[in-house]
Amino acid sequence: MMSNYTVLAVTLIIWFGIFAYLMVLDRKTRRLEVKK
Amino acid sequence: MVWKIVLLVVMTWVIVGAFILPAPQQAIGEASRIFYFHVPQAWVAVVAFLVSMVASVRFLRNGNRLEDDRARVAAGLGLLFSLLATVSGSIFAKVTWQSYWNWDPRETSILILLLIYGAYFALRTAVTEPERQARLAAVYAIFAFVTVPFLMFVIPRVLPSLHPSDSIVDESGSFAMSLETSVVFFPSLAAFTGVFIWMYRLGRRVTTAERLRIEE
Repeated sequence: MMSNYTVLAVTLIIWFGIFAYLMVLDRKTRRLEVKK
Repeated sequence: MVWKIVLLVVMTWVIVGAFILPAPQQAIGEASRIFYFHVPQAWVAVVAFLVSMVASVRFLRNGNRLEDDRARVAAGLGLLFSLLATVSGSIFAKVTWQSYWNWDPRETSILILLLIYGAYFALRTAVTEPERQARLAAVYAIFAFVTVPFLMFVIPRVLPSLHPSDSIVDESGSFAMSLETSVVFFPSLAAFTGVFIWMYRLGRRVTTAERLRIEE
């Protein structure tokens, strides 16, 4: 059975990944809007 | 930019608090920590379907294709968050009821909801003429939303269910959450709503740009 700390670390990594992905998408789509 | 940093901090706090503070339902044990993620996911799904319905009504009233873009993106996010709520609920079911799927009224009703909104996108792909597609989808989204309160709130409470129903409000109708649970749960609701708003804005931006490119 995984400890709470392991699940916490995995969840944090997933969240930081999602956040970084959204930041990149935000920047890319903003450029897209400027082109328009 | 500031609100994104706030979102990063609040969601990080939610994740840390969810696993460090005592489990919200001691009787259920460690598995009850999923409550901090499962309920906000379901909440965001309802908000997204509401946004989709409102945008559909506005599209039918003024014919502005931007409203159709909004309705489509919100319905997609509603479907995504419903799926996440189903998966997180299913993990909880495996730990507490020893099975991922029991055809509990709560599980069955969310499955019906997923099918209803899955059909929304099937309808959109089935109609090729853009204006007709947007109108049909808008009418469908309004009728689809009528089922949401029944499937999410009424049916699971009317029929006997194993699903915990006293996490926020107890049987007498009074607030049943401890302070330790509240300081994680309410920020979680806010953070998931923030993620939804962000994804919605990105989705709408891309959907509108794609539509304009096709129309050119």
